[in-house]
Amino acid sequence: MASQRLRTQRRAVSMASAASLDLGRLVQEAEALASVLVTRPTGETLLTRDGRRVLEALNLGPPTARMIVACVSSHHNMTGDGAKTFIILLSKLLRGLQAILDKREGSPFCEAIQRSKRDQKHCHSLKQISQSLMTFQTHILDHIMAQDLRKHFLSAFSSWEGEISRDTMESILEAYFCGRIGNSHQKLLSQLSCDFYYRCIPFKNGKNEMLDLVNEYFVELHSAVTGLPVSNSRILEGLVLHRDFAVYCPADGDIRMLILTESIDSALAPPGLEFVVNAEVQYQASQVWITKRTEAMMKHLQNNNIKVLLSSVKQQEIVIYYAKISGISIVECLSSEEISLLCRTTGISPFIPTQDNIRSEISETMIAKFCRPLVLGSKRYVHLGLTRTCAFEPHCVIFCGPVHGITEQHASAFHGAFKMLQQLFKAVDLSDGCEAQPENTNNTSKTVHCNSSSWVDENPSCNQTELQKSSDLAKPLVKLESDFMFSALIDRGSSVRELQKPPLKCKHPSEMWVMNNSEPAVNNHRICNDAMTAIENTSTSVVSKQLDAAQEYWKPGNPIVPFKFEKSYKHTVQSYTNLVIQAGSVLPVGGNFEILLHYYLHSYAKQCQQPKITVISTVIADALLSIPKILYRTTKENSFTQVCFKATSALQTNQQLPMHQQGLESVYCKYQLVASVLHCLTKLLTIDLIIGIKRPPQKTEVNDSEEDL
Amino acid sequence: MSRIEAKKPSLCTNDPLTKERVSFSLSVLSGIVKSCYGPTGRLKQLHNGMGGYVRTTSQSSALLGGLSITHPALKVLTASVQNHISRFSDCGLFTAILCCSLVEHFQRINFAACTVTKISRHLLSLCTDYLKSEACGCRVSVDFDSIKTLLSLVRSILASKPACMLNKTEANHLSTLVLKAFLLTIPHTIETNVVLGKCVIIPVKGKRVMDSTVFPGLLIDIPEFQFARTFPVKRVSSSAIKMALFCISMSGDLSNIGEGTVIVHHGISLEVAVLDQLLNLGKQLVNDQVGLVVCQKVIHPSLKQYLKEHCVITIDRVGVSMMEPLSQMTGSQPIAALHSVSPTCYGSLKDLRTESFVSKHFLHLVPNDTLVCSLILCNRNEMAWDELKLACQTAEHVLQLTIKQPLALLGGGCTETHLASYIRHKSFTLPTSVLKAIDCSRTQYQLVADAFCRSLECVACCLEHDDGEILTDMVYGHFWSVQSGFPSDCNWSDLVLKCGCGIYNNQRNLNWTVLRSQYIPFAPQSCSNEPSINSTDHLVLDCFTAKCSGLQVAVETANLILDLSYIVEDQN
Repeated sequence: MASQRLRTQRRAVSMASAASLDLGRLVQEAEALASVLVTRPTGETLLTRDGRRVLEALNLGPPTARMIVACVSSHHNMTGDGAKTFIILLSKLLRGLQAILDKREGSPFCEAIQRSKRDQKHCHSLKQISQSLMTFQTHILDHIMAQDLRKHFLSAFSSWEGEISRDTMESILEAYFCGRIGNSHQKLLSQLSCDFYYRCIPFKNGKNEMLDLVNEYFVELHSAVTGLPVSNSRILEGLVLHRDFAVYCPADGDIRMLILTESIDSALAPPGLEFVVNAEVQYQASQVWITKRTEAMMKHLQNNNIKVLLSSVKQQEIVIYYAKISGISIVECLSSEEISLLCRTTGISPFIPTQDNIRSEISETMIAKFCRPLVLGSKRYVHLGLTRTCAFEPHCVIFCGPVHGITEQHASAFHGAFKMLQQLFKAVDLSDGCEAQPENTNNTSKTVHCNSSSWVDENPSCNQTELQKSSDLAKPLVKLESDFMFSALIDRGSSVRELQKPPLKCKHPSEMWVMNNSEPAVNNHRICNDAMTAIENTSTSVVSKQLDAAQEYWKPGNPIVPFKFEKSYKHTVQSYTNLVIQAGSVLPVGGNFEILLHYYLHSYAKQCQQPKITVISTVIADALLSIPKILYRTTKENSFTQVCFKATSALQTNQQLPMHQQGLESVYCKYQLVASVLHCLTKLLTIDLIIGIKRPPQKTEVNDSEEDL
Repeated sequence: MSRIEAKKPSLCTNDPLTKERVSFSLSVLSGIVKSCYGPTGRLKQLHNGMGGYVRTTSQSSALLGGLSITHPALKVLTASVQNHISRFSDCGLFTAILCCSLVEHFQRINFAACTVTKISRHLLSLCTDYLKSEACGCRVSVDFDSIKTLLSLVRSILASKPACMLNKTEANHLSTLVLKAFLLTIPHTIETNVVLGKCVIIPVKGKRVMDSTVFPGLLIDIPEFQFARTFPVKRVSSSAIKMALFCISMSGDLSNIGEGTVIVHHGISLEVAVLDQLLNLGKQLVNDQVGLVVCQKVIHPSLKQYLKEHCVITIDRVGVSMMEPLSQMTGSQPIAALHSVSPTCYGSLKDLRTESFVSKHFLHLVPNDTLVCSLILCNRNEMAWDELKLACQTAEHVLQLTIKQPLALLGGGCTETHLASYIRHKSFTLPTSVLKAIDCSRTQYQLVADAFCRSLECVACCLEHDDGEILTDMVYGHFWSVQSGFPSDCNWSDLVLKCGCGIYNNQRNLNWTVLRSQYIPFAPQSCSNEPSINSTDHLVLDCFTAKCSGLQVAVETANLILDLSYIVEDQN
């Protein structure tokens, strides 16, 4: 305690703005969308346009800046995109809020606390802003998304079975790579990733499972070769194991393989056992016995027509020797990830070489079409042509480039693209009733979102006396939700919507408390929701016919279906489903999402009764415009003001938005981004003191997330 | 307690290429690589100023490995050249020079990086498409039936390394040896998967280059006392010696005990038990009529003695690198068991001889099917030997690449000038639709194309280091050089003798012009149906695969460097 030293107390907003000035370079860089060369302490250089990498490389000093970087990283880890937009949006929001606080007079955040001291007053208004932000994020954002923005969304799917046409896929990927690697290799990589997607996906329903697998094992599924032109990058059928053969015996036809996780040869005295030598002959005999046993084991494998052993451990020389004699190839020292990837794709478990199973038939085998050495650059690898047994057709990517920096940049962008696709196929539920209740502060604790859940615990309502009761009461609810949230985050595979259904029911007791005067209505509403989300899937088939008509109306030959034209769908489904964003929702790139959200937020702010919310909505709406402003900064034909004017007039007359660019982007990612930025902002605003301490702090949350970098 | 040091914030630089520091370092680097290029290139001495080893070289791999470059943008450049060298061995200087001059030329026209990138990518695709097409006028196909083109290829590589200090006859002699060694590594029976053998280079320093020679099979260095006591080998027949190859230790140590405990009763010696096993193994080897025992690790002296008594030659400690060629050449399988050795593992040799060079003594293992050969490489001094070894390895690698893709490009600067005139011609006649697709104006395209062609010509010009004049002809677009000190009133046709690659003599009126002057774009003619290709002995040729890849890598790297707008340097 004595070593703790109170440093200075600074106001959170100005502090955060100062931090954002530190990030100014990144903002500049992000605005320029240019490439950055990063050198590491080890001397290697890395080329990148990835905002997250640049942020992390900056090694920023101020703790708030580090917290912002941590927020960006966690957002980026999840969605694979949006680091630069995050920073731009956040800095604009901070500046907007600063402007409000500076103005003071007439601000709804300063009226109520006339008598308090200045510092406290300031602190108090920050608190209020952060609460309003929270309210905004939990109620109004979803509300606006569901009510207004939804009709503008397009669907990436060409049919309701969730198929996605190649053209659409390409335009989504191209738009993604544009921001990540620049135009020089954008085309090549989007083609490559598109190819990879369609070659890996075995049937149309397996896309989520396939994407999970690709994202989880991406390190094992790609290899990099330096010193070759980028155009040599390609997709290979099968898997490349990053080891060379210890023994290679060529084999044709279907090749049976085994996975091993222990040595075939047994030691004289295994760990924990004693071996007593009574006579020299005995020692010799036991040596001979061990050799014979290994020989017998290899013979047994040969008799079972096993051609390849894939081992995670190093095998003894004697095993290699007998393998060569028996015509069995061995790959050893495979990483545990490679072993688990092999087990996942083939569904077999490792073989255990014991005396007992030497007579029995070997069942846990996999079949490969080929198994041969592959030379990539100067390294020799093993190329396995596995036959598929799960929702992933084994393929891998080879990235070529003149320097390591390039291949790494391409690999991380490629990985990011698949993370983005994973997000694209997610849907968002409107968790609460459709009515926004900004005045009910109790509701701030009720956040059912797909956002990072840990933030819910830091609910700002805790230190306010009038809310004390409610926060105590709400605690179990928060707990429940955050736990559930966490599991939703971890379980990358399942769609958020599915996971959210059960907890809705769990909430009923507290629900009654929260809305005690409208209890029956809420319950009815809930039940209705649950019932109708179940129906939703069935109702889609009815809708599809109308959609076909709408499709023709929209654009002949273009497989993108605007939700706007699903009139009946909207009326029937939206009235009882809580889908904010449907799986596969996309919007054209070029700031369309931001302009739309800006427009609707502004009109919401105009008619909103609560002054605080009005102010917050305006600040957010204005900050959102900074993104298209930067996007259209350099283009000659479409200046920002023109684009914005066209879009607004189109919206006022209920027309389709004009499209300037070909690409498409996932609405889910955009939505997620806005939510993450607002969370980060709320978090920043709730800090009122920075304490400098001398010893390393015990692992706290911020540190943890920094470790993750 | 561990001390925690605060991390320093990183250093950011924007628009790094406009800075004085980088343009200066770039010009120094490009000066170094340009002056090394070609047969008349200047040599560089690398030393650390503290009395260390001094290396004299003009080869990119030695040069770039020795330079310590601090600026991150240049690090990218050298790293990509080094990566190229590690893939292809050849054309490192070409890549480096082209990349440097592309950066310099593109910087001078001062367009937005993305415009330059787009146009230069298109130009690059024009180049690669042309080089890969049948119509390409600067490539020749390599005929493996005659050794003429192969020999030219090897000779061009050796001749372009002046630090090897070879004269013409020495270069010819070595080229023949390198080619012979390469041909020995090709298996006689071709299956679906061709695995080339290995050529082991054995250093003999202090002898003349002309003493270098190639032996089929392996030469294993043995100490002199053993050399003196060689004896008639036990043979199975007059041309077959049975051989056993061991990959485990035969020194009598205890192996594979495990992590548990072994309790040995008093009076029992495990060493004796193991030695017993070893001698039993010796007995089996003798019974199986093995004439030669080779071991990767150590053989116990008692076993050696036993085998010697039974006229079996032993060689131990050959090391892991020799195991593969040994097993490849003799067909023997490395044995890892000390008992019940299967007779199928034995290999066979045709003969076993002894050879000696200067003070070195070798046991010569003569195989039935060659696959493996030993190149005894001699040069007068250490420095020149190092350089020569590198050149020979490059030549071997180039031959391996050529067997995969039997093409070669015209050397001596002719490919560069030919390609430049082809690109000039193409960019002049580019359809508007292409310009629209790239989204640039015709002037922009032509300016970038001009910078691109100038960079290519700049590489060719680097071949001339003695103030000579460089010309190009307006028919084939080849490279011609004129020695300095010519009279000013002379006609070009009186001065030129042969083009850079040696295909064309000064026989027709080829309408010469100074290379870097402005001239009207023309479509260069192809040389492929020229009768002189097969008749001329001394063509200068370059590796097709290496040069194509070098071209692409250079353009990609230059684009990369030009595109940099920030540098973030970690200062920790």
